[in-house]
Amino acid sequence: MERNHTQELLSAIQHADRAGANAVIEDWARGRSFSLAVTELLAPTLEAFGEIWSTGQGGVSLATGYVASKVAEDVLSRVLLESDTASGVAPSRGPVVVGNVEDDFHPLGRKMVAAFLRTSGWDVRDLGVDVSAAQFVDTAEACGARVIGASAMMYTTAKNVRKIREEIDRRGLRGKLQLALGGAVFKLRPELVADFGGDGTAASAVEADALFETLRQRSLGLAPACGRRTP
Amino acid sequence: MNSLERVLAALQNQPTDRPAFFINASLYGARLTGAHLDDHYTQAEVYAEGQMAIRETFSPDLLISPFFVPAIGEAFGSPWRARPSQAPNTVQFVARNAEDMLKLPLPDVDSHPRLLYLRETIRILTRKYAGEVPIFGVLVSPSDIPPLVIGLEAWIDALLFQPEVAQALLDRLTPFFLDLGKAMLSDGATGLALTSNLANTFIVTEAIANSLTLPALQRALAEIPGPVIFHHGGCPLVDQLARFKGLPNVVAYFIDVGEDLGLARRNLGPGPIVMGNLSGPGLLHLRPEEVTALCEQAFDQRGEDRQFILATCSADIQIDTPAESIAAITEAVCRAGGAEA
Repeated sequence: MERNHTQELLSAIQHADRAGANAVIEDWARGRSFSLAVTELLAPTLEAFGEIWSTGQGGVSLATGYVASKVAEDVLSRVLLESDTASGVAPSRGPVVVGNVEDDFHPLGRKMVAAFLRTSGWDVRDLGVDVSAAQFVDTAEACGARVIGASAMMYTTAKNVRKIREEIDRRGLRGKLQLALGGAVFKLRPELVADFGGDGTAASAVEADALFETLRQRSLGLAPACGRRTP
Repeated sequence: MNSLERVLAALQNQPTDRPAFFINASLYGARLTGAHLDDHYTQAEVYAEGQMAIRETFSPDLLISPFFVPAIGEAFGSPWRARPSQAPNTVQFVARNAEDMLKLPLPDVDSHPRLLYLRETIRILTRKYAGEVPIFGVLVSPSDIPPLVIGLEAWIDALLFQPEVAQALLDRLTPFFLDLGKAMLSDGATGLALTSNLANTFIVTEAIANSLTLPALQRALAEIPGPVIFHHGGCPLVDQLARFKGLPNVVAYFIDVGEDLGLARRNLGPGPIVMGNLSGPGLLHLRPEEVTALCEQAFDQRGEDRQFILATCSADIQIDTPAESIAAITEAVCRAGGAEA
């Protein structure tokens, strides 16, 4: 009977079994490639995992999500090794900028988002914690990103998202540069996304890819030729 | 009936003149005194004046030492920063991972200046309110200390992939936790209030909770010579009360914003107090009449349950919250007891 690798991988991730997950991917990639495993095995598995996570059911904890991001990083490492010896490279879907807003020092969620975005082929410019509004927008302009992803854990720091919104608007980039928001406070109070000037949010880190793609398409629809080096 | 009598009556399932209530106004005290936050979070007298102002203005039935867990991180070497309108935040971690943290010396609760600050606030408030208002010392459980010293990511990594190192760190931290908790009680605290997020399966897997963090919590609490309030720490708690009920010395469980008080009682069974379920930070956006409605909803949920304390949960009440929105809680509680605010 043929193995259902997607189901096995999902089960391993749900049980926070990083080694088991990597063994499933290793088996699938045998005779194929790890870059193919990203698109044909890992991506659909993470999508299913994200749906379970976003419902709050299925016993998915933050630690389980962390394991999922580690598995994604493990596969990307194999893709990079593969690209040194063959032609397989992760597809580029353009640059994006992520960081924790000014005064926020809770990096875990942002790092998980960055891992999932990289797995999905985004060129992630991760600015770390305590990032000023100017740093976010400077970097986005310099690399031609269409989307900024800003993370905040608490209400007090989430208020600093407004500064990013103001900076984007002050430079005349509204619409062209989309602002994705994430972090515990936005999960608990999604209405704050609009209040603080965000353009969208996702229910879990895994779903960041779909959000960023939606926002990128929106940006391209509003400003097809905007920005320097914009893809 | 004074506040201490009211809280003790709730604990003993006895009638009270009005429901007891608590507001997490650790930060908000600085709004009432006008103190600079750097002073509020470093000078015990300044902080205590804030809690006294809270008591004078809103009449809550419990007061607390600073809701300032980065102070514990600082005791291990992690710096914090207070912005003009925010409670302090740990801004850098002194160690990279659990193995490095194992090598750090344990802070001395009798000499570290920030720990002495926490303890002195308890002494001052106890001198002022002994026999009148319960004072609770705020700290975190052993499993919640590493995120303040190595960060949450490194700690989850150790719990997942280096369980023997994680166990060694929990074992090492437990004596420090006990020293600080016992010191707060000897300073006059009526009890302790603590979080244990890393024992909550919203944060960690069941395997980690069952094998590492929950047993460590049970062992530590068993040696605390006083009553303990178990705070949800920002995580949903009601669905996990079956896991946490019966923790040694825990007399009250503090549930998350909007969680059902009736369901909490059903999950806990009789005995401990249920505290909650108003949002502290959320008061900022609520008109007084909206706060009143939430209080009344909470009273409806608790029904005839006497072992209930209406409380703001989640984080601190924000410093720019209108006083009228906080006063609406006092007024709702007094109305529920048939008295004037």
